[in-house]
Amino acid sequence: MSPLRGGGRRSLAFSYRPYLRVLFFVPATVLLVFLVLYPALQTLLLSFYTPSGQFAGLNNYGSVLGNRETIDTSDWQMPYGTLINNCLWIAIHLPLTLFTGLYLALTLQKVRGASIIKSMIFLGRVTPMIVGGIILTFLFDEKSGIVPRLFGLLGINSLAIQWTQYPETLLFGLIFGSVWLWVGFSLIAYSAGLTTIPRDYFEAAQMDGASPWQTFRRITWPLLRQTTLTVVTMTILWELKIFDIIFAATNPNGGVGGAADVLALQMFRYAFRAGNYNAAAVVATLLTGLTLLVSAWMFRRIIIGPQRKGRRVRKLVLQFWTRVWTRIKPHRTVPQA
Amino acid sequence: MATSSNAPSAPAGGTADYAPPKKIGSLVIIVVALLLVTNVVTALSVYYLTPSAPAPTVQPLRVIGPWASDEKAKFIPVLDAFKNKTGISYEYITTRQEDLQSLLPNWFAAKRAPADLIFMPSSFIKTYGIQGNAVDLNGTVSGSSYAPGALDPLKDGTKIYGGAYTGKVKPGFWYRQSFFTAHNYNVPTTWTQFTALLAKIESDRSVTNTPILSGDGVGWPLSDVVEHFLATYGGPSMNQAIMAKTLPWTSTSVHDVFANYLVPTLTRGAVCANGCWSAPRQWDTGVAEWWRGDYALYFMGSWITGMVTPSSDIRVFALPGGVTPSGVVFAADYFFVPTYASRVADAKQLAKFLGSAEAQQKQVSVGGHIATVLGVPLSAYPSVDASIAQNLTGKVILSDLDDTIGGTFQTTFWSQLQALWANPGNLNAILANIQAAMPT
Repeated sequence: MSPLRGGGRRSLAFSYRPYLRVLFFVPATVLLVFLVLYPALQTLLLSFYTPSGQFAGLNNYGSVLGNRETIDTSDWQMPYGTLINNCLWIAIHLPLTLFTGLYLALTLQKVRGASIIKSMIFLGRVTPMIVGGIILTFLFDEKSGIVPRLFGLLGINSLAIQWTQYPETLLFGLIFGSVWLWVGFSLIAYSAGLTTIPRDYFEAAQMDGASPWQTFRRITWPLLRQTTLTVVTMTILWELKIFDIIFAATNPNGGVGGAADVLALQMFRYAFRAGNYNAAAVVATLLTGLTLLVSAWMFRRIIIGPQRKGRRVRKLVLQFWTRVWTRIKPHRTVPQA
Repeated sequence: MATSSNAPSAPAGGTADYAPPKKIGSLVIIVVALLLVTNVVTALSVYYLTPSAPAPTVQPLRVIGPWASDEKAKFIPVLDAFKNKTGISYEYITTRQEDLQSLLPNWFAAKRAPADLIFMPSSFIKTYGIQGNAVDLNGTVSGSSYAPGALDPLKDGTKIYGGAYTGKVKPGFWYRQSFFTAHNYNVPTTWTQFTALLAKIESDRSVTNTPILSGDGVGWPLSDVVEHFLATYGGPSMNQAIMAKTLPWTSTSVHDVFANYLVPTLTRGAVCANGCWSAPRQWDTGVAEWWRGDYALYFMGSWITGMVTPSSDIRVFALPGGVTPSGVVFAADYFFVPTYASRVADAKQLAKFLGSAEAQQKQVSVGGHIATVLGVPLSAYPSVDASIAQNLTGKVILSDLDDTIGGTFQTTFWSQLQALWANPGNLNAILANIQAAMPT
C-alpha cells in the first residue's frame, strides 16, 4: 500500500472535503446576498414603483430619460444633460489618461530614478477625489489658478477666466484637470505590463531592423492588450460613477446651470435632496446597467478571449432568435377568424 | 499505516501520487477547541479581573449649527451662558446646512437624530416637522416674545416646530467710506445714479477688478442679490407672490425686473464695458479682496460687519429708486428639536434660552446679528448693526425666498443664477428653468 495513496479509513474531514469547500463559500455568499444582491434587487424593484407604492411600469424610466436633466440636446449648448456628460467624460478622459499613462510608462522605462517620478505621478491617484475636486477649483481660479494665468500670459484672454463659473469651460476643465488624478493608475498598470514582455522580442525586432514605431505597433501594443483592457474598463467604470470631484468642485446641481452634472450626482440629488427614491433608483439602475455592460465586455474579452467571441455571440444570437421565432410563429399562423 | 507526521514528501518525479495528510479533521477539532478555550479564558478574565465597569458618562447636549471659525467663536459664549445658567453641558458641532439637508432625512428614517438641537432653514423644519420629526415647541417658545411673524414659517396650525434665533439682514451694497471719500464717490439715490457710479468706478480704474464683487459658495449669495432686485423694483409683494407660488418666474413683471435692472449690469458693454459684476468668487475669501480694494461694492448679509476691521469704515446702501415701501430680506436662523433627540427636555430648555432676549442680546453685542425677539435694546448692538436695526423700521420685512421655498428648488435656483451671471443673454431660458424647478 502506497503511503501516499492513504488506504484504509479516511478521516471525516477528508471524506467531506467537497462539502467543506462549499462551507467556506457560505460566509461570503451570505454577505453578498444580503449586502449586495438584495439591495440591488430592491433598488431595481423600487424603480418600477411610484413614491406612493403603485406599480409604474416603465413610466419612471420614461420620465427620468425624458427629463432635460438627463438628456438635453434641444439647442446643443451646455448643459447637455447627465447622460451625455458622462459620455463626454468617457470620450475625452479615457483616451487622455490611457495614452498619457502609456506614453509615460514607455518613456520612463529606461530612465534612472523612474520609480520616484512614477510615485510622484501616482500621488494623484491616492489623493482623495474630494480633495482633488477642491484642488481643481484652485487650479481654475481666475486670480490664483495656474490655468487662467497661463492662458493670460499666452494672450488667450477668453480662457483667462474663472473656469468653474462658465458652462463652456466648467465640464471640460474638470475633465482635463482630473487626468492627473487618474493617470497614475494607467502609468503603473502599463509599467507592470511592460515588464511582462520578454526582452528577446525587442532584441529580435532590432536585429531584423524594425523601427521603434514598428516595434511598438507589432510587439508592445499587442502584448499590452490585457493591460489595456483592464485600464480601459477600470477607467470607464470610474468615469461612469464619477461624483466626488464634481460635487467638491461645484455644487449638488453640477455647477453653473448644471453644466457639469453627471448621473451619480443626479441620483444623489433625487434621493437625498428631493427624497424621490424611485427616481433615484431609476438612475441607479441605469448606472448599474451601464457598468455591467462594460464589465461583461471586459470579462468576455479577457476570460473568453477574442477568438471565440464571434462564434459565441453568433451562437447566442441564433439561440435567442430561434426561441423568439418558435414563440411567435404559431401566433402568426393562427387565422384571424 | 502512514501518518502525516512520518509521511515522506512527494516524490521528485511529480505530484500525481500525492495525497494530502489525512488528519485535517483532527487539526480542525484542535483549532476549534483552542479557540473555545482561549475565548472562555478571556471572558472569565475580563469578568473577574477587570475592576467594576465605569459608570456611564452623561453625554453632553449636542447642538449642530452652521457657524465655523469666527462665527462659531461668537456663538459659543451664548452656549456657555446657557451652561452656566442651567448646568447642562453642551457639545457644538459645525455642519453645513446643505449637507444636513441630505443627511437628516436618513437619520429620521432610522428614527434617530445626530443632535438634540439643530439649526436648519425654516422650510426644512416645517416639512419634516409635519411628518413627525420635530418636537412641537408651542409653549416652549412664545410667539408673543418675538417680533411679529418671526415664527410664522415654522407654524402649522397651533404647532410650532422650531424657534427663531437671531437673524441677518441683506440690506444692500457694502462699501468702505474711506474708499468713497478718497475717490469722491457719492451714494446713489436713483437707478441712473447707480449705473453712473458703476460706470465711473470702472472708467476711473479705482479698483483692480469689476466694480461689484459677486459672492459664491454653493450659489446662495447670488440669490440674495436677486431677491434684493425683486424686492426693490418689483416691490415686496413680488417676493411674497413668488414665495406663495401665485406669480411665476416667467411672468412679464418678474422678467422685466431682471431685464431692465439686473441684466444690463451683468452684460458687457451695457453699463460697464466688462460687465459690472465679477465672476462669482468664494464669498468669505472675497470679503478680504473687497476690503483691500480689489472691488468697490459687495452685496452681502449683515454678518459681514463682524468680518472687517475697522468696522467703523463699513457702510451700506440699498438699491435706489425702487418701489415704496421697500422690502428688506431678513433671514433668521431657525432651530428645532428632533423627535428622536436623546435629551428632549434639556434641548427644550436650550430652545427656550435661545429664544430669550438674554441670549440674543449676548449674540448681537458681538456684531453681525439682529435679534428676532423683542426686548433687545439698540444700545446692545455695535454702532453699525444698530443703524441697520434702526433702518428696518418702515420697511417690509421679507423672509429669505429660496430658504422659504426650499427643497430642490433652492439648489436649482442657485445654479441657474450662476448660469445667468455667465450668460445674461440667456435670461428667458434661465427663468423657464427656475420656474420648472418650483414645487407644485
